[in-house]
Amino acid sequence: MKYLALVIKNLFRNKRRTFLTVFSIAVSLFIFSALVSLPTVANQVLADTASSVRIVTHNKAGLTYSMPMAYQQKIAAVPHVQTVVAQAWFGGVFHDVTDQFPNVAIDHEQAEQMWSDWDVAPEGWEQFRKLRTACIVGADTMKRFHLHVGQQIILKGTLYPFNVTLNIVGVFGPKAPINSRTFLFFRRDYLEEANHGQAYVDEMWVRADSSANVQQVINNIDEQFANSSAETQSEAESAFIGGFLKGYRMLFRLFEILGFIVVVTIGLVAANTAAMSIRERRGEIAVMRSMGFPSGTILSMLLSESFIIGLLGGLFGCGAAFVILKIFSGPRMGQMTIRMPTAVLLETLIAAAVIGLLSAWFPARAASKMNITEALRMVA
Amino acid sequence: MSENEYAIELDHVSRIYMRDEFEVRALDDITIKLPNGRFVAIMGPSGSGKTTLLNLIAGIDHATAGHVKVGGEEITSMKERDLARWRARHIGLVFQFYNLIPVLTAFENVELPLLLTDLNKADRKQHVETALKVVGLADRMNHYPRQLSGGQEQRVAIARAIVTDPTIVVADEPTGDLDAKSAEEILSLMVELNRMFNKTIIMVTHDQRAVRFVEQVFHLDKGVLAGIEPGGRAPTSGATQAAGSH
Repeated sequence: MKYLALVIKNLFRNKRRTFLTVFSIAVSLFIFSALVSLPTVANQVLADTASSVRIVTHNKAGLTYSMPMAYQQKIAAVPHVQTVVAQAWFGGVFHDVTDQFPNVAIDHEQAEQMWSDWDVAPEGWEQFRKLRTACIVGADTMKRFHLHVGQQIILKGTLYPFNVTLNIVGVFGPKAPINSRTFLFFRRDYLEEANHGQAYVDEMWVRADSSANVQQVINNIDEQFANSSAETQSEAESAFIGGFLKGYRMLFRLFEILGFIVVVTIGLVAANTAAMSIRERRGEIAVMRSMGFPSGTILSMLLSESFIIGLLGGLFGCGAAFVILKIFSGPRMGQMTIRMPTAVLLETLIAAAVIGLLSAWFPARAASKMNITEALRMVA
Repeated sequence: MSENEYAIELDHVSRIYMRDEFEVRALDDITIKLPNGRFVAIMGPSGSGKTTLLNLIAGIDHATAGHVKVGGEEITSMKERDLARWRARHIGLVFQFYNLIPVLTAFENVELPLLLTDLNKADRKQHVETALKVVGLADRMNHYPRQLSGGQEQRVAIARAIVTDPTIVVADEPTGDLDAKSAEEILSLMVELNRMFNKTIIMVTHDQRAVRFVEQVFHLDKGVLAGIEPGGRAPTSGATQAAGSH
């Protein structure tokens, strides 16, 4: 600790250089953390759904083709199926076209059983079953539009020529999987009433009794409707979401590579700056060693300076990325809001510390081991 | 005279450098025994080995042959880590260009060697204030080196050299970068340190004015001890023994 004051004094020796080094590390780690956040969020979604017992059944022709409602009962009779929920995409907007988030109509009776892991309070599900205009909203959407439970909202129809007036009765809480946090569920019977007839059912959500039976249920459903006028394609939830993300895989890999290149590049720039800074102080270092400062202490002090610079850059870069991703988290990737995951925050700070330490390692080690008499002669 | 009454004992010391493929014999078979409490000067033309001799005594360079004892301790075979610890305890260094750390105040510069000791902050403060008082700069302790004159900077450097109460103070051309008045002040200060605190001071200099301030002058030429002359002050302690290679 008694050397900390000396380390800090040396950090402010050349304020402009320290600021520029911190700034350049901050910018590069901002780019790194922003780029790496996207694939990390995607991986987190897949991890969340990896052990899901939910299956999505949709028209084999594509997601935009409807499913006959009669399929619901037939699917419910398939062995190992616990429940089936029909889902209709409403596609409404809140105030204007930029206020988009996924909103769907579902069967209210079976919803709690189907999405029991989406962290809704029991009274929320109860109200959902009781109130025809009830809706349950994801925590991120609640926060984005400053909504609260008990509030009445109007969703403007874009696919349907009418609006729906909904009452918020529950929230998909913080323990819900990441892909749930922007969703809004409301009741399909209310949609059909407003539509004056049957709504367009896009998907059937199926819950198997165990994850071991998921594949068997998928095969049975698709076999049952093979060669019908509306053949089905069933997928485990993780595969379904993975399908949405597949198109971005190459992009994500590119982001990761670019992030890595940015970090390596700034590491080299920081190393050059550290080398320059230490070279300028060789005389002082020689004087300190001649006083009896052990080379290990000198090395620690020089590395501490660089470590602090790296860490400050990391903190500023992460902070900027965190704030900017939060501000611009309106644009969605599939059904997700993009936020900086804790893992990326830690990775970035570790990268910052490593940049700090590695960039100064070689010049600091050389300076701490240099021949004192040679260095003093150079000063003279 | 018993062995440990000698501050410095050099026994057939040689130092040979390799400059590319050429062998440079910087010091050749030097033998000196210098009693405690002396203030001596090493003089000689450039390249005569003065600074090399000083560096060997200060433990920042190694002899190629022979033995160096300082304060009764054999330092020739010490490992780098032990030598660093030994320097911190026994050696105070003063350089021609002061070599103060520019981002530290006078106080902090003087405190620097004390960071290597077990003293707490309050004790360090007391030691630093005493050292700065001795060199007459108690009122400049919060000044940065750039805010001080050359003479004042050298006084701070001397305070830094004596703050740990070392066995010997070694000074390499301490007046080399100063005007005549400041140089005399620095030499007088060194005499005072020698008299008041019985500090052994060994100084390399080109400055002929230094002769009247010291007790003895060692003349080096081409790496060998060419002679010993009395300085302007009478020695206060026992007899010096010396032998050159010729």
